[in-house]
Amino acid sequence: MTVSAVLAVASLAVTTVPAQAAEVGVSSTEIKFGMTLPMTGTASPGYNKIPAAVKAYFEYVNANGGINGRKLTLVVKDDQYVPTQAVAKTNELILKDKVMALLAPLGTANNKAVASVVNPGRRGIPVLFVNTGFSGFADKKKYPTTFSVLPSYIMEAKIMSEYIKDNFDGKKLGLIYQDDDFGDDALAGFKQAGINFAVKVPYASGSQSGTTAAGWVQKLQAGGAEVVILFGVSSATAAALGTAAVLKYAPQWILGSVGGDATTIKAAGVPAGVLYNAVGASFAPATTDTTDEYVKLFQDIYLKANPTQTFDNNVMIGMNTAFLTAQAIQAAGKNPTRKSLIAAIEKSGSTFASAALVPLNYSSTSHIGYNGYWFGKYSPTGDLKPAGGVYTVYTTDSADGAVVKSTYKRAAMPAKGLPN
Amino acid sequence: MKLSLTKSRFAGFISAVALITGVLVSVPVAANAAPVCDGKSPIQTCGGVTSDGAPYAMMVPANFNGMVALYSHGYRYNIDIPAGIPLIGGYKITNTPEPIPGGNSEVAKYFFSQGVAIMGSGFARQGWNPDSAIKTNVELIGLFKEKFTATTKVVAWGESLGGVITQGLAEKYPDLVSAVAPMCLADNVPAELTMAGDFLWGIKTLFDPTIKGGNYSAGADGNAEAYGDLVKVFTVMGKLQAALATGAWPDTSSATGKAIAAGGVPSRSALLLLGLLAGLPTQSAHFDSVNGPDGALKLSFPLAISPALAILENGTNAAALAILATQDVELQAGGAIFDNTKTNYSARIDTERVIYNAALSGNSAISAMLGALSAANPGAPRAVGNAEAIAKMNALHSNSGVINVPTILMTGVADPITPAGASQRVVDAYAIQAADEKLAAFANYKATKSYTAPAKKLLMIWNTTPSNWTKFTAAGSPITSSPAAQGTNHCNFTSAQLVLVAKTLVAAGESGKLPTAGLIKAAVRRTGNLSIDALYRAPLLKYYNEQ
Repeated sequence: MTVSAVLAVASLAVTTVPAQAAEVGVSSTEIKFGMTLPMTGTASPGYNKIPAAVKAYFEYVNANGGINGRKLTLVVKDDQYVPTQAVAKTNELILKDKVMALLAPLGTANNKAVASVVNPGRRGIPVLFVNTGFSGFADKKKYPTTFSVLPSYIMEAKIMSEYIKDNFDGKKLGLIYQDDDFGDDALAGFKQAGINFAVKVPYASGSQSGTTAAGWVQKLQAGGAEVVILFGVSSATAAALGTAAVLKYAPQWILGSVGGDATTIKAAGVPAGVLYNAVGASFAPATTDTTDEYVKLFQDIYLKANPTQTFDNNVMIGMNTAFLTAQAIQAAGKNPTRKSLIAAIEKSGSTFASAALVPLNYSSTSHIGYNGYWFGKYSPTGDLKPAGGVYTVYTTDSADGAVVKSTYKRAAMPAKGLPN
Repeated sequence: MKLSLTKSRFAGFISAVALITGVLVSVPVAANAAPVCDGKSPIQTCGGVTSDGAPYAMMVPANFNGMVALYSHGYRYNIDIPAGIPLIGGYKITNTPEPIPGGNSEVAKYFFSQGVAIMGSGFARQGWNPDSAIKTNVELIGLFKEKFTATTKVVAWGESLGGVITQGLAEKYPDLVSAVAPMCLADNVPAELTMAGDFLWGIKTLFDPTIKGGNYSAGADGNAEAYGDLVKVFTVMGKLQAALATGAWPDTSSATGKAIAAGGVPSRSALLLLGLLAGLPTQSAHFDSVNGPDGALKLSFPLAISPALAILENGTNAAALAILATQDVELQAGGAIFDNTKTNYSARIDTERVIYNAALSGNSAISAMLGALSAANPGAPRAVGNAEAIAKMNALHSNSGVINVPTILMTGVADPITPAGASQRVVDAYAIQAADEKLAAFANYKATKSYTAPAKKLLMIWNTTPSNWTKFTAAGSPITSSPAAQGTNHCNFTSAQLVLVAKTLVAAGESGKLPTAGLIKAAVRRTGNLSIDALYRAPLLKYYNEQ
């Protein structure tokens, strides 16, 4: 056999024989991801729709040949939003389920607990697109394998501050916030923007309920708050709005993106009318905007897989995360490894197609994802829509950078919404 | 649902800690150093007293193969404890020899089956004793070799303070031992007593300012003060337990404590904070900080309550030793050895305050508590140590962590008395040592063109916890009558785990090197609740935050 014939045979072998697994969680037919989030418990409403959203997109990719012939699969563990549970479940994902990477683990405290105890950074395990806006997770030195995706809470508070100055200048402001790093990030952003609150109501994570919310409302009323910002999870938003409605307290509400999912709030028993005219923020297109190609495709995929469910913001974010993941795996090469996956996001992540209306900021020195928001108001049916029907997006950073109107133009969706 | 535990106030919190071990073997008594043997077969038992007055026991099988395993027992209190003291009342000082951990017959049987003799002393002095205990062990090795001239190898192992003594023996006299296994290794005395001092100081400062917490008088007066502290600390723990659901503060709380209480911070959050500041594990024998009872507390129990219960259980377990070891070392050093005048408690819990944020009642509550405990608050006076006494304490035997002979460490990841960080410190020190040895080997290769890879000399076995273990009654109360979960409590090893260490010790002693990684992995997997994950990392004791 000649040299060229040997090479030809070798080449043939490469293209026809399934790639051999050389990485944990990667077989010749499958790439396995693991996710921890609250599927049950107080904080679960809304978030518990994310796994089905991710799986729906993964199945869509798999039905279209997978990524380099491999199917994408997801193992989901319920951590109930309890940090110690997150540690135990993440250990299971890594040691028993042997996932290649952790995908969109949810919660600031949970991610911090996992980083400290399980230490995926030291183990070289990618932690992709963490579902928290805590600014600290973009610290590549401290969390070398972690990639943020949500705009940070500092960014959100800074941008929200501009909105408040533009629309509610001179009004007495109130703030309900989760009394941990999540809320502290928001406080830092508001402070930097020079926003002063007449009333601040911190609540410990997990303590939100109708009873505790009555105390919040009492404080806000006593302080004369005319505009109230809610910086907590959706269950806290629902408790506040629902209780305030019962107590006939109706300030101008501004809902942070984390706690602003209308489906979740309504599912908690809050009438859509209570949400009406509240201000909300998002970095993705409105979920009712079916003229948006991503919304339309994601909605079609999701509702086909979950016909009895509602397509909402949590679903949108979940599917977009899955979309980013598929592109990251594709960029990581034919035989992806944990190392090549991280390198791929650092090298190409900023060019990944995305449903969001703001850019991704990944690079060899940055693990920051999105960096901006648009604001809008909730309709009488509880749908968040941009003011005047136009997305006006603002971007900023987690430091002392200015809030600027974004000129970012989202690239067209790749054919069929699949990685190129 | 009620939060009361299913056992009486403290009974559920008592673990059979390996610190105090009982009579194990009946040995012939000799009033001098040379052993007197009973001549029985198949196991010959010998006894005697070393020159410093330590009774010892040797058990030699008829098929003696030349190897003897020297065991060092853990901490035994150095004063008698009156019967009225909760939990430990009725204890009498004992120097009964202990040649095998807890008299474990399965482990002894293994050694004898291999032709390996066992021995151990009760040491000449109790309390914190590595300085004298290492000397005793050196003498004991000599006595054994003199009596049994076929002796070719000595391996040593020990638990808790006995681990310190074992590691110390290998560091100071590597030629005397072929392999060692320090288990549930204690850290050096400043680190251990800083943990004890921090917790006691916190309990005193917030919950009962009449607790002395250290700086005990000499003699009988000091004993009485220590007894008084034992009662007061256990009383506070009982009150905190009773108020877990309501969050009420003990009626003995200080003005500082009452001010925090007035701010709406529940006492369980303050207790948890004190445990975190001291470095106590937040998982304990019966509380995993993971499970919750079915019903309304399914989420809030693990999130807000279980970590505090774990600190209560661990703190109660550790409190007696904290008080009595502090008193003992103060007597040896001649004054107060705990000084937190420069301790920055806020800096110690940067990560923990996020993880346990809900159980600590949020950042505002955490800031209020840390502010109240800061050195700037005159209502929380810091403990001032005696510089001369601290210098004397620091001069007591310390282990550097150097590994001279094949060494097997095994420790529970949630041990509340000798935290896993004590072993982690040795692992870290060895990582540097191993890197240096590799560099030296490369340098030697450059010079001689002959390369010999340095042998790996340290095996770290983590005794891991299950993924969850808290159980509840049908009414939703946590059950504390079940055996402590693996990985929790002090030196809470199964016989199988001890035998695994014994086997590895014997193999390493015979060959001069650790068994292969493949063999160890398979054995660890078979034994259960063990891990040799090189990437697991236990937090160091908080003492090292300030170093």
